[in-house]
Amino acid sequence: MTFKLMIPNTEGELQQELMDDEARILAGGTDLMVQMRSGKVAPTRVVSIKKLERLKEISDLGERIRIGAAVTYSELQRSHILQEKSPILLKAIRQIGSLQIRNRGTAVGNIANASPAGDAVLAMVLSEARVEIMGPKGERHESIESFIIGPGRTTLSTGEYIRAVVIEKTDDWQSLFIKVGQRNAMCISVASIGVLRKGKEVRLAFGSVAPVVVRAHKAERFFTREGIDGTKLGEFVERCVESISPIDDVRASSWYRRQVVRGELMKIFGHPDVGGTDVT
Amino acid sequence: MRINFRLNGETITTEIEDSMRALDLLREDLGLTGTKEGCGEGECGACTIIVDGNAVNSCLMLAAELDGTSVETIEGLTGSDGKMHPVQRSFIDKGAVQCGFCIPGMIMSAKSLLDKNDSPSKEEIEAALEGNLCRCTGYVRIIEAVEDAASIIREDRK
Ligand SMILES: Cc1cc2nc3c(=O)[nH]c(=O)nc-3n(C[C@H](O)[C@H](O)[C@H](O)COP(=O)(O)OP(=O)(O)OC[C@H]3O[C@@H](n4cnc5c(N)ncnc54)[C@H](O)[C@@H]3O)c2cc1C
Ligand code: FES
Ligand code: FES
Repeated sequence: MTFKLMIPNTEGELQQELMDDEARILAGGTDLMVQMRSGKVAPTRVVSIKKLERLKEISDLGERIRIGAAVTYSELQRSHILQEKSPILLKAIRQIGSLQIRNRGTAVGNIANASPAGDAVLAMVLSEARVEIMGPKGERHESIESFIIGPGRTTLSTGEYIRAVVIEKTDDWQSLFIKVGQRNAMCISVASIGVLRKGKEVRLAFGSVAPVVVRAHKAERFFTREGIDGTKLGEFVERCVESISPIDDVRASSWYRRQVVRGELMKIFGHPDVGGTDVT
Repeated sequence: MRINFRLNGETITTEIEDSMRALDLLREDLGLTGTKEGCGEGECGACTIIVDGNAVNSCLMLAAELDGTSVETIEGLTGSDGKMHPVQRSFIDKGAVQCGFCIPGMIMSAKSLLDKNDSPSKEEIEAALEGNLCRCTGYVRIIEAVEDAASIIREDRK
């Protein structure tokens, strides 16, 4: 792990530094430091964003909330606007790593890292997040679902960086976030599930069961159109399972991951009253 | 590059390599070997230090990121008069230490909690120590020690 460290004072300087193909941004470092130590990535330049005050802002945009690239998980947890308006993001953050990790790690780092197990990513997919990207050609915006294209892969090109992420306020939705098959906070789960529900509308997303975090759009439309009474519940759950494509790995087989997701969804939506009353 | 920071109350100015970790600066350059390296990847918490009041893993931080901050390590807890910090005292009194490897990190996490909250619930203590693994003790006595330290700190404040 040998590199030159740059600590730009302005976004203009940051932009300059990133024109080098071998440069990498350092936010909280909770992914990058591990990846550099293991040799998975070996940038010749590392560019810290710690002096860019404007990237540390959380702002209320009315219907939406904008989170700057240098905002840590702990800062999000302390933010009143997040506490009031995005219960789903806070539920996800509570399950991330440890206090030490949350004191350094950023939600935007979670997006840029593009892991299929990204917990903040899952909450942001449910919150229809839009990624604010800055680059040599100016600013562009992209939905988080199209921004993340594979494990560790995004649409960022040379010179571009994420400046912020903008999420919908979802305080009028019931929310649920679970990691399945996890022994304690520090181990990676075999699957994660997030649900938002408002009457006949539902949003569902899954982590660790496909190359990227996935939204179950088809199943969501089925839910609104057909409901989940009687035999419809089984059909709904199968549509959810169709949206995932789990792999076999050291933690679990693909078959097991499907079963886990199926089982959890039956528990969540198969409540004896109306489906989903335990989604709180 | 040259950095400047507060370390256990003293001002430090030192020359470092860009890619050096905070952990290596403390242990190798400054000779403060109380901070331990377990996993080197954020999982075990043995390398926990307090930076500007927050517990962090020094194995995941660059030394350069300490520039301008105020850092506390286990070495700074005992006063110049040799008096131990209540958390240190309680860990000994409550028999919370076995092999001791995890203890500096545990104590720093506990201190950072108690600096912010001198009446934590058991759940709050567990949450604060979630990133500190101990292979020996089973955590029960560690939690008791933190509860004990909290009560001593509250007494001292009266
Ligand atoms: C012990 C441990 C436990 C963990 N537990 C969890 C967990 O439970 N759930 C979970 O989801 N994650 C977990 N993680 C992973 C990690 O903490 C998160 O992914 C975190 O959000 C990464 O953010 P960061 O600021 O630390 O990113 P960094 O490590 O600084 O950066 C990550 C990547 O994103 C790039 N990057 C960062 N910011 C930008 C930007 N603004 N623009 C463009 N690229 C950028 C970097 O170059 C790098 O490639 C864990 C990690 C550790 C070490
Ligand atoms: S050595 Fe830093 S967390 Fe294990
Ligand atoms: S006392 Fe041995 S690891 Fe905790």
